Amino acid sequence: MAEPATELSLDTAAVLAAEEHEVAIVGRSPWYLAWRRLRRNYLALFSLFVFVVILTACALAPVYAHHVAHTGPNETHVAEQVSVNGKLKDVIGGGAVYDAKSGEFTVKAVTILGPTWWHAGGKFVLGSDNLGRDVAVRMLYGGLNSLKIGIGSALICTFFAVVLALLAGFFGGWVDWIITRSFDLIWAFPVLLLAIALGSALSINGFHHFGINIDAGSLWIPTLVISYVLIPYVGRPVRGQVLSLRQKEFVEAAVGSGAGPIRIMFSDLLPNIASTVLVFFTLIIANNILTEAGLSFLGAGVRLPDPSWGNLISSGQEQIVSAPWLTLVPGIAIVLTVLSLNIFGDGLRDALDPRAKVRIEH
Amino acid sequence: MTRKGRWTWLLSVLALAAGFSLMVAAYGVAANRTKAAPMQAQKSVGTLKAVLDTVDYLDPQQAYTGQSWWAMWNVWETLLTYRHVDGPGGYKLVPGLAASLPSISANGKVYKFKLRKGIRYSNGAKLKASDFEFAIKRGFLATGQGVGFYTDIAGAAAYAAHPTAGGDISGITANNAKRTITIKMAKPRGDFLTILALLFAAPVPAGTSPAIHNGNIPATGPYRIVGYDPNRGFAMLRNRFFKPTKDIPRGNPNRVDVSLIGDANTATQRVVSGSADYSNGAIPPDRIASAKSRGKLVLRKTANTYYFWMNVNVAPFNKLKVRQAVNYAIDRKALQTLVWGGLGQPTQNILPPTYPSYRKLDLYTHNVAKARQMITAAGAKGANVTVWTREVSDALTAAQYYTSVLNSIGLDAKLTTLPRATYYTTIGKRDTKAQTGWARWLEDYPHPLDWFDVLLNGNRIVDQDNNNYAYYSNKKVNSAIESLKKAPVLTTAVNQRWAAVEKSIMQDAPWAPWSNRVFPEYFTKKMGCIHVQLLYGIDWTRLCRK
Repeated sequence: MAEPATELSLDTAAVLAAEEHEVAIVGRSPWYLAWRRLRRNYLALFSLFVFVVILTACALAPVYAHHVAHTGPNETHVAEQVSVNGKLKDVIGGGAVYDAKSGEFTVKAVTILGPTWWHAGGKFVLGSDNLGRDVAVRMLYGGLNSLKIGIGSALICTFFAVVLALLAGFFGGWVDWIITRSFDLIWAFPVLLLAIALGSALSINGFHHFGINIDAGSLWIPTLVISYVLIPYVGRPVRGQVLSLRQKEFVEAAVGSGAGPIRIMFSDLLPNIASTVLVFFTLIIANNILTEAGLSFLGAGVRLPDPSWGNLISSGQEQIVSAPWLTLVPGIAIVLTVLSLNIFGDGLRDALDPRAKVRIEH
Repeated sequence: MTRKGRWTWLLSVLALAAGFSLMVAAYGVAANRTKAAPMQAQKSVGTLKAVLDTVDYLDPQQAYTGQSWWAMWNVWETLLTYRHVDGPGGYKLVPGLAASLPSISANGKVYKFKLRKGIRYSNGAKLKASDFEFAIKRGFLATGQGVGFYTDIAGAAAYAAHPTAGGDISGITANNAKRTITIKMAKPRGDFLTILALLFAAPVPAGTSPAIHNGNIPATGPYRIVGYDPNRGFAMLRNRFFKPTKDIPRGNPNRVDVSLIGDANTATQRVVSGSADYSNGAIPPDRIASAKSRGKLVLRKTANTYYFWMNVNVAPFNKLKVRQAVNYAIDRKALQTLVWGGLGQPTQNILPPTYPSYRKLDLYTHNVAKARQMITAAGAKGANVTVWTREVSDALTAAQYYTSVLNSIGLDAKLTTLPRATYYTTIGKRDTKAQTGWARWLEDYPHPLDWFDVLLNGNRIVDQDNNNYAYYSNKKVNSAIESLKKAPVLTTAVNQRWAAVEKSIMQDAPWAPWSNRVFPEYFTKKMGCIHVQLLYGIDWTRLCRK
């Protein structure tokens, strides 16, 4: 009798086959098998669902802003009132009152409109911030920016890391030495400190060298900074895998048959590291979203007034007592996104290669 | 006289002497009681624990922020200083290191001072009259932020062109033996005495290098600074060589521990929890009311103006209509609530209302629709604008609102933030060509020249460290300022002329002034006597506990 199927069984293909029609599956691709394993991991699938929902919601930010909230992410509504359940409420109210006769001020607290939960016709669903801006709109636009940076930097980082790892692992010798020493050089700096230093320096004047012109406020700055500082974290483990594959018979056979280096690297080696790269890609998106949040929180990422989840938390700090939603809402969004990506990434790793120990190490 | 008579006479004299002594003693006790009674309610401050948000430098020739001066005006004395009293009396100039106010020549060009006798630095060295000239020279050598104030001294401009340690400013002569200083001016300046009272002119020992010395230059005032750490703070200890004068008290605290905390919430919490006695950092607007109930909130009115400047040389602000449109678009009242919880007065003036030259201006009533029309009419719709501000919470809040307003009237505005340490030097550099941004001015000394001459006189525009961020230069206005510079006294007629200058400038709208702020100063409930010096803020030398 066959052993009960588990996610981590070494002979999963045979077990799965036995479970289904008790007929061995012949010739099924590793991707198909991985998908079979993944779809049994409900937690990973649920996490993917959560991430897709967040991604969709953020992608629809302009639609929500235009048709529901009727405001932009940076528009202030300081002296305005909103009808909540038929009652008019100040977006920003209270504050000290000046008595012209006595010349004195009477101190009163400033009140910020809290979440209206759809009782104001879609306006200020998650309340207002200290500048009278719609938090829900800024949350969605902030998420859009954070995800753009997270996914964009993951793409760039993974691309360069894989190319460099293939070159280093395949050619070895001085090529490997130069590339690995470059990785070491970047690795020697604490990742967040290096990112802060680069982000701060570039955020003042932007980047205008080598024919590349990036303005100071551009999202490209945090995207490229994060990509750059994380290249070794993906590149080194992938290079290790390429080094081990380089010794395999199929590579020797390819060399023997007269295939050139480019063809071997991209037709023979790359498909064999694709599963690892895919897992790295998923995990590094989560990591990059966190790095972006950290950078923006410290003022070295997305520039105000443009929102990102990191700078929304930073801006909400001062009102943490009177308006805790300003920090809680983006904080929860970051947790949900990162958690969902990490759980999905782990599930993907288990499905693609259960023996792999792929993780981002800082 | 018989023997009995002599004894009677002697006893009478002794009785009278004893009676007189008793009367004197009784009077003394009674007098002491009367004076001591209110003191029983107050306790010595001992160590005062204060929180500042930041200081720029603790070097007299370099420091140029209110927070630095708050500490430093009781550390380095100047020839003339201001009284330690509340109210308008605090603006009165009194002798500091000088024995008396100077004699001034009839043409207003020669000032003669004599130093007090026996003044020593905190390291025990004697103060020399020549140390004054050395301090002015050190300012030029170090390209200190205040050197522009002293260029009207004869020979200063020549020295500034080629400053050397061995060089001389011909207009300053000192006689160390006689303790006299004579200052000759190239041209008269109505505000020169107040300029001499600025900390930039505080004498320092000859030989002090031009490099920045934060806190470790020997002091002449009642306290000295020790242990400066830019990330933590510093302490002020008594200067044992200081001798109090009529106008410079010894100071109540034995020691002042200053913590530098930039975060407004943390600074406020320090006072609420009792781990600090006082904070002069910002209080988050939504915490002001609760802070008031948990401590002592003193609202300090001081001469200041917060404004947005517009560079008149750079598009689209080279067009008058655009600048005026911005002035119409800003909701000044709303900004007071947003930025400091209502603790400010909306303004369209450059001068604060504390000045006798102040005449309230009402040129731009809030009207966004009109502003939009003006932008369209000026052909500036969609023009790219970069708004500059510094990374300090109130400035960031104001600048974000400003950016939003510029976008709402049809411009395409983006925000650029700079660290507070580099903000003013960056926007004050002509090459930066900064378009518009946030700024504030707190008076250095109580005279309209400190506003119009320093901030808006086109003749004073320089390539670096420029204070005229709008690069505003109007020939008529410039000549009016130059002419008013010579007026030593602010008579009604002179005040009228200043008001006219102000109106002309605001019709050109290089600025959009928006607030005269009231500063909340926050103390623990244990603090007793709290005094405010108009120029330097909370007078911590006179603080006491309940």
